[in-house]
Order: sequence, then structure tokens, then C-alpha cells
Amino acid sequence: MAVSRLPPAALSLKQFLQRQKVLGVYRDLLRSIRKIPIESDRRYLRDWAREEFKRNKSETDQDVIRMMITQAHNHLEDLRRSLALAGC
Amino acid sequence: MRSDCLVHCGSGLRNMAARIIARCVRSLNHPSVYFNRINTSATLTAAPLTHGRTFSYLTNGHKSPLAQISSSSFQVLQWRQYGDLPPLTLETIHDRVLYVLKLYDKISPEKLQATSHFMKDLGLDSLDQVEIIMAMEDEFGFEIPDAEAEKLMTPQEIVQYIADKKDVYE
Repeated sequence: MAVSRLPPAALSLKQFLQRQKVLGVYRDLLRSIRKIPIESDRRYLRDWAREEFKRNKSETDQDVIRMMITQAHNHLEDLRRSLALAGC
Repeated sequence: MRSDCLVHCGSGLRNMAARIIARCVRSLNHPSVYFNRINTSATLTAAPLTHGRTFSYLTNGHKSPLAQISSSSFQVLQWRQYGDLPPLTLETIHDRVLYVLKLYDKISPEKLQATSHFMKDLGLDSLDQVEIIMAMEDEFGFEIPDAEAEKLMTPQEIVQYIADKKDVYE
């Protein structure tokens, strides 16, 4: 009888990788938001990003999480393109 | 910057240069530019002595004659001054890290200590930890890569990491 040495709350490899992706896209989003020149816009977007991620924090379905990561990447690309057009 | 004042002086601009230098020297006595004053005295003593008795007077180590430069006319030789931030010490890093953490709205300042774990003691989650590390990047002015950022879980670890990256030894 093999007893698993991992604690029960440990994530599987896929879950762990997904968690890393979420944190990575959050960090990239925050880095892009940092480049926005206007302080009020920057604050608004930072609060928006925080709200979005916190709201969906408790999601457990892997497919839903994957979809949300893709959405976040799209938002990130939009933000990057807007910043490039604005010349920042 | 002060270095600009001193570099572009020619004989035709001597009066203007003297006025600008007088203004710079007066501002040197301000307590907030203490660090720059040390710099200036060091560079002034290192400058060649071909121009005027006031500079040679300075090399004797007097501090007050800095104010006397304003009254006399002299030739100005070019030299360079490099500006930089004050040097980091373990204690200043520690203070700055704790200051940034106290400003973070999800941390109560009373519970905060150097060894308090973000997730276990302070009840933050990984998104908050990402935000905290971003705030540290903003404070210290250099980027922390993802792989190393996710391991920093206490203020003490952050201080240690920054000290390692910035070559601060005690």
C-alpha cells in the first residue's frame, strides 16, 4: 500500500503549471500598466486587474481557468498595442 | 546639474560662469546636499592647481573658503562629476522594505515584522505577493525575474535578495 507523502492540498502538475501561468500573466499585466503615463488611468486599470483576478480566484475548473488566462492575455496584448501606439 | 555649469566655460563667458558657480556654491551649503559637498571637495582637491589661488586654498582642507569663490574671478578648468544615489546598506534596505510594506493596504502595520511570512502570518495570497514584489521593484529600481520573485515570502528574504543583487555586504 503506497502512502503518498504529499500533503492533501498539493496541486497536480497541471494545476501547478496553470497557477504559474496565472501569476505570470498577472505580473505582465501589472508591468504593462506601470508604463501608462496618466496616474488616474494607471490606478483605475490596476484596481480593475486586481478586481478581475480576485473575483475569479476560487475557480477550480481547469478549462474555465484556461479560458480566463486566454482572456487575460488578450487584454494584455490590447494594452501593449495601445501603449505602443501612444508612444510609451 | 552642477557639472554642466563648470564644463562649458570659455573666456568670453567667464562672468556668467562665476555667477552660476556662486549660485551652485551657495546651494552647496544646504544640508540636503551633504553628500554632493563631499564629492565636490574631493574633486576640487583633485583638480589641477593651474587656476587661481582660491583653489589651492581649498586643497589645504578648509571647508569655509567654498563661499569665497564667489567673490574672485578665476579660470575654470573642466572636470567631471558623476551623480549617483546614496550607497545602500543592509539597514537602509531593511527600512525601505518595511516602509513599502506598511504602505500596502492589505497589511496591518502592527503585525508586520521582518520574519512574518506573507501567506502564513499575514494572510495574503499569491496575487498580493506579486503586487508586493512589484512594489519592491518600483522602490529599488530594478527588475526581479519571475522565478526568483515567487520564492520571496518574508521581508527578511526580500532584504537578503536585494542585498545579494546589489552587492551590499556588512
